[in-house]
Amino acid sequence: MNDLDPKILAAINGENGEAAKAGTRKCLMNRRQFLLTSGIATTVVMVGVPGMPEAQTPAVVSTYERKFITKLSTLMVDDPFDFEYPDEGEYAESILVKLGQEAGGGLGPDKDVVAFNYTCTHQGGPLQGTYQAADKALGPCPLHLTTFDLTRHGIFISGQAYQSLPQVLLELEGDDIYAVGMFGLIYGRFDNLQG
Amino acid sequence: MSTPYYVPEQSVPLPPPDADVISTACDYCVVACGYKVYRWPVAGGKVGGPAADQNAFGEDFPVAPLGAWVAPNQHNIVLHNGAPHHIVIIPDKETDFVNYSGNSSIRGGALAKKLYNPQTPTRDRLKSPMVRMFGVLMPVTWDFALEIAAEVGNHVLEKHGTNAYGVKTFSYGYMENTYAITKYALRHLRTANFTFHDTPSDVSSTPGFRDAGFDNFGPSYDDWAEADTLMMCGTDPYESKTILFTDYIMPAIQGGQKTIFMLPRRTGGTAFAEKNGGLVLDIQPGTDLPVVLAIARVIVENGWQDDAWIENWVNNKWESSSGFGQGTRNTPWQWRTTWGKFQTDGFEDWKEWLLAQDYAEPEKAAEIAQIDVQKIYTAAEWMAKPREDGTRPKTSIMIEKGFYWSNNTGNTQAISALGITVGAGGRPGQVIGRAGGHQRGGLRGGGYPRNKSPEKLPGRRRRAMDTDRYLMSGHTRLAHVIGTTWVQAMCGSQSLQAKFDELTTRNPHQVQSFEKQDIIDTLKKRTDSGGMVVWDQDIYLVDPIGARYADIVFPASGWGEETFTRANGERRLRLYPKFYDAPGEARPDWWIIANLAKKMGFEGFDWQTSNDVLEEGARHSRGSRKDFNMVHVAAKREGKTLHEKFAEFGTNGIQGPVMMLADGSLEGTKRLHDVNRVLPDTGPQGANVFNKKLTHFNSQTGKCNIQKAPWDLFSSYWEWMKPREDEIWISSGRINERWQSGYDDRRRPYIVQRWPENWIELHPTVAEARGIENGDYVQVYSDRIPVQTNTIVGVESSDFDFASLLRNGHIELTKASITAVAIVTPAVKENLGYMDFLHTSQPANALSGRVVDWISGNYNYKMGVGKVRKMGESPYKHQFRSMSFARRDIA
Repeated sequence: MNDLDPKILAAINGENGEAAKAGTRKCLMNRRQFLLTSGIATTVVMVGVPGMPEAQTPAVVSTYERKFITKLSTLMVDDPFDFEYPDEGEYAESILVKLGQEAGGGLGPDKDVVAFNYTCTHQGGPLQGTYQAADKALGPCPLHLTTFDLTRHGIFISGQAYQSLPQVLLELEGDDIYAVGMFGLIYGRFDNLQG
Repeated sequence: MSTPYYVPEQSVPLPPPDADVISTACDYCVVACGYKVYRWPVAGGKVGGPAADQNAFGEDFPVAPLGAWVAPNQHNIVLHNGAPHHIVIIPDKETDFVNYSGNSSIRGGALAKKLYNPQTPTRDRLKSPMVRMFGVLMPVTWDFALEIAAEVGNHVLEKHGTNAYGVKTFSYGYMENTYAITKYALRHLRTANFTFHDTPSDVSSTPGFRDAGFDNFGPSYDDWAEADTLMMCGTDPYESKTILFTDYIMPAIQGGQKTIFMLPRRTGGTAFAEKNGGLVLDIQPGTDLPVVLAIARVIVENGWQDDAWIENWVNNKWESSSGFGQGTRNTPWQWRTTWGKFQTDGFEDWKEWLLAQDYAEPEKAAEIAQIDVQKIYTAAEWMAKPREDGTRPKTSIMIEKGFYWSNNTGNTQAISALGITVGAGGRPGQVIGRAGGHQRGGLRGGGYPRNKSPEKLPGRRRRAMDTDRYLMSGHTRLAHVIGTTWVQAMCGSQSLQAKFDELTTRNPHQVQSFEKQDIIDTLKKRTDSGGMVVWDQDIYLVDPIGARYADIVFPASGWGEETFTRANGERRLRLYPKFYDAPGEARPDWWIIANLAKKMGFEGFDWQTSNDVLEEGARHSRGSRKDFNMVHVAAKREGKTLHEKFAEFGTNGIQGPVMMLADGSLEGTKRLHDVNRVLPDTGPQGANVFNKKLTHFNSQTGKCNIQKAPWDLFSSYWEWMKPREDEIWISSGRINERWQSGYDDRRRPYIVQRWPENWIELHPTVAEARGIENGDYVQVYSDRIPVQTNTIVGVESSDFDFASLLRNGHIELTKASITAVAIVTPAVKENLGYMDFLHTSQPANALSGRVVDWISGNYNYKMGVGKVRKMGESPYKHQFRSMSFARRDIA
């Protein structure tokens, strides 16, 4: 049983690459090139650790782009909005969703808008299209069935992930939602900003 | 020990191209995936880069799915030869077997974090031997600790007898260690007060398999995937043997395999199976037997049994009685009980018995188990109904602890008979076996002295000692504990703990001196006064066995800190090399035992290396399922050490039993009981051993024994235990992300964030009736935990039956209570509360009856009972950084 199961490949790329053709997600297998996006603004982001006193909060000096995502007023509960962050490279596809209930790191007056990377932090399976409104979860991952709790900083519910699903840090300016940083390493990369 | 907050990282150092690469296998579950360890010095600041020629993987980053990605939890910094080194541990992407897709579970995925690094929560690893003086465990030298242990040990043996020296040890912690420990305990001490971490008595875990002739680990992993119908009893492999599910069963299900789970709780694996047309027999605890027999009944009533298989491979009347060459009465089931309880005159006789049992009628069985009766008919059809063209579905049966630790003897007898009926056993895709828990690292260095055990069953043979009951009776004067919590891992743990307290800390003879001779004299006095001394060997200080009771603590080294050998659940033998320095003065268990034995005056413990131990032990593996003696023969022929020879097999390893072919090459064994396998007609040449189990079954004739499985041998206990009034069943099991007692996981911030303490899954109806919500602290308690007392000599055949024990005053009712965080989910059976099986501070086993299965001597751990009440809110109810209350069975 040496060869990769064709079903696994299909789960990643869609049958005959249909996922890529349909534009629902990029073809991930066999795609090695990675384009660093240009024009990254250098910002210093203070990453707040939920539940930690201010004095213990580590300062993460990084160069994440402050990127406009969408307008808060356009979001509907349980209707995911897809975007790319921190760049347009591989595994940058992310979900922004208004959960309809308060969540860790939640944005907006209801503290219920959160954003996460779409790539499973186990073996890189695609989580696009797996949002579970009833459970406020992503998954099960088509590769090995991991599920993630979006109300609790992307912690795994069940499964095999090696770390929580990377959470995209958000800021609200008026009605505009900006992505300003990441919490956790994106699958496939050794550094979120260097690929 | 405290664990810091989990703070996700955003980058990880990659190994440079010249990093050392060491092949090994995982330390945790029975599957034992292959891993690669990448090691390079911290000095110089060198790290790999994202281009293929800049890193040790030869991969461009970002890597593809299933690629050589390094999660921050897969990196650590350790000492190697005294100098700091980076370590990256990821699943082997090139291995041909087991995790052939380069996959791993969440447990093995975080192996790097188990390594000792004082900047992490592993900083409390035991680093030096300690002796308790003035109530405090104080670091001492090895000689100081070993001399006290040797002199007190010899005193106990001489004055109180060999059975006063109890040894309770892990069974799996690598063959080099288990060989040394069993050689010491069974060949030199010759104590019957000996058992392993998961049972009070050194007895067969699956008596029904033993009697039928099935090896626990006969199947190969490919067999589970090749089955058309797979029945899994008492386990969801996704939750505890991940890769066996994700890389074998899951693709099989996608390819049309019909899966039947039998267990009272839904999880990720059952959800996937049901979504793909699978079946869950959601029985209430302890009712497996009637359901299994009812399935068998539907099969035989329809004539769907595998007649050709039964004709060739099932013992008839004369074969059943032919004995083991030692007289007809000398068979395992006759040791365990009296004539006629199990034995049949063959298939027709068994069928006649089956059809006469009312509890084996589908409607009755479904009522006992509280399931939809239609599921019994569906299961029977899937397992045995021939197709229109007359061919049969290939059916396999997998069992694990949820099944065989509730009605141990009855369930394993019943499932063996069902397996035989559908032709499971010894053919590709048609197998029966255990899924497995821990890896298989046992190697016997001595035989159990059963004749020295005080346990005697009615009219028949002696059974291995119930070491817990022996200790409770005050006979154990020295408890030598190796790599187990003992107290929390056994049933009725709170009253067991009270006895430990009484025998150790509350005994008047406590060490109040720093002089070695004073310490020795005091400990001797304690043993003479009816008290007990405790030696504890472990990698961490365990509460209470080490932290409160131990008089001497020996620090052990483990995975990656010494070179070891072990097999997985398909008997695949691999080398686990040393790749970094053990903390402080920690030593491998074989070294500790050898030096203690030498100080006590025993001969035969002059090993210099772990390889020396294994080379001595190799011949003791002959005839066993992981027979590797011929690997040793090959090594010597080629001028290599045994460890060097094993290293050549890398993560692929070789499956035992291993044979040497005429050309000197080695051949493994894909499956046991392989009825299609043709062995050389020249017979075994040289030192080769052709054991019966290679091509036949482990029985007196090589054919299977089809046995009865009477419910009434067990029903008195089940009827007494089952919930009354507002009680519910309290059961427990592994949760995927925690291994064993969580000794490593409690030190992983990532896992502690998910599971900060024990929890209990409650059905919404149970929760609502008690006003319990997600995140509430609840108390789980009972005032009727049955505890068997007294070691009695059985005379009448029913003397050990629970009803008789109760009537004759051998059952004491004790109280117990633990706390847990409530998770309200419809995933559990309505009258069931389900917990992690071994949280050391909130042990679920406290609610399980300490009454052994009276035929086998095992505990039925999975059958606890208790009440649940709300205490208040836990901190996890309203904050977002810890735990999750989302259901685990999202499909």
